[in-house]
Amino acid sequence: MGIQEQYRNEAASLLSSGEVKLVIGFGAGSTADRRRPLFACTAAEAEQFVLDSACIANLSAYLVTEGLLTDGKKVAVYLKPDGLRSINILIAEAQLKPEQVVILGYAIENGEVKPLTGRSIGDFTDLGDRIRATTPPPAVVQEAERIDAMSSDERFAFWKEQFSKCIKCYACRQVCPMCYCRRCIVDVNQPQWISTSSHTLGNFEWNLVRAFHLAGRCAACGACDRACPVNIPLRLINYRMGKEVRDAFDYCAGENSGQKPVLASYSQDDSETFIL
Amino acid sequence: MSEPFEPKIVAFVCTYCTYAGADLAGTSRLKYAPNVRIVRLPCTGRISPMFILKALQKGADAVLVSGCHPGDCHFSAGNYHARRRWTVFRALLSFTGIPDERIRFSWISAAEGAKFAELINEITEDTRKLGPFEQYQELQKVIETQSSY
Repeated sequence: MGIQEQYRNEAASLLSSGEVKLVIGFGAGSTADRRRPLFACTAAEAEQFVLDSACIANLSAYLVTEGLLTDGKKVAVYLKPDGLRSINILIAEAQLKPEQVVILGYAIENGEVKPLTGRSIGDFTDLGDRIRATTPPPAVVQEAERIDAMSSDERFAFWKEQFSKCIKCYACRQVCPMCYCRRCIVDVNQPQWISTSSHTLGNFEWNLVRAFHLAGRCAACGACDRACPVNIPLRLINYRMGKEVRDAFDYCAGENSGQKPVLASYSQDDSETFIL
Repeated sequence: MSEPFEPKIVAFVCTYCTYAGADLAGTSRLKYAPNVRIVRLPCTGRISPMFILKALQKGADAVLVSGCHPGDCHFSAGNYHARRRWTVFRALLSFTGIPDERIRFSWISAAEGAKFAELINEITEDTRKLGPFEQYQELQKVIETQSSY
């Protein structure tokens, strides 16, 4: 029995036993290589779950849907290691209760889907080591190094060109598990911090703020990068901020659910070489 | 002949240390560059990165953020939190091409009126050399010309 059938059965039994009220997984998509999120509330619906190497989305974003978990019932969700990382971050930020999330974990290695053992986030004790050992895509690292080596004028020109493509669709925000604010700063209009029109200044401000709000919180799932319709290299900027946080504070987001969020904590010994 | 460039500098300061330091500079009759606009806030922990972006949006050529020395915060830990935030925000600004010289950070206590005066003079001179922050102000101009339709 393949992992797809195994998890289908497991989802069906979780639903029929009443242990969970909902299972979030993947169904067939509009084309052969796409998968669509599928929400099953009955064992019959669970028959449609698909699990293969095209299931790359981070479904943890659906868990922070307003009102979903307020009834105290459990929800099961298909998650890759980056999804587990998001769950840890959300728990650390008090957005989830660990006991409300049942995990159907899987990893995609060389195009093959492998099951992960553990059903509760506390079972994945080696996640922190895995995160620290994971190397980011070499293309992203090289590009970040290339930009770091530029003069600030060149960097400004590079990002100005990238951000000028932005159409302010906020797909990056909608798809991100960490963007759960009920009222996003960009929607605040008194005072209006960020110009909402899609001109370059507004785009610049929006993208700076988005990147800053994800610094030390990004699970590096790449969902924003895939969602961006104009291909702004969001993964690049997120990677660079994650690296900064790791270098400065030895902090990797989502290692475990007991972590204190990096910008909501401090150490008296933090470096301050730049402060006069 | 066009007027010489006078940099616009916005200083976000905490009320307990740097503002008191600036006050001391004044009461000590120290002379310093009049290019700085001081915005007083309760604590450096209250200084949101949005303030810095807003200052740039409104045409500042340089921004100074200043508060109590570590350990001296009136609220015990506001400046420690702020320090982490700035470390990250500064890296972000630098990565996106906003020069480090335009965004400055300092600790100035209520006793350091002279340090405040010197720092303002230094930033003003440095910014004068850098010239106006045209790259960023250009972005604002685009909006103003577009807003006619």
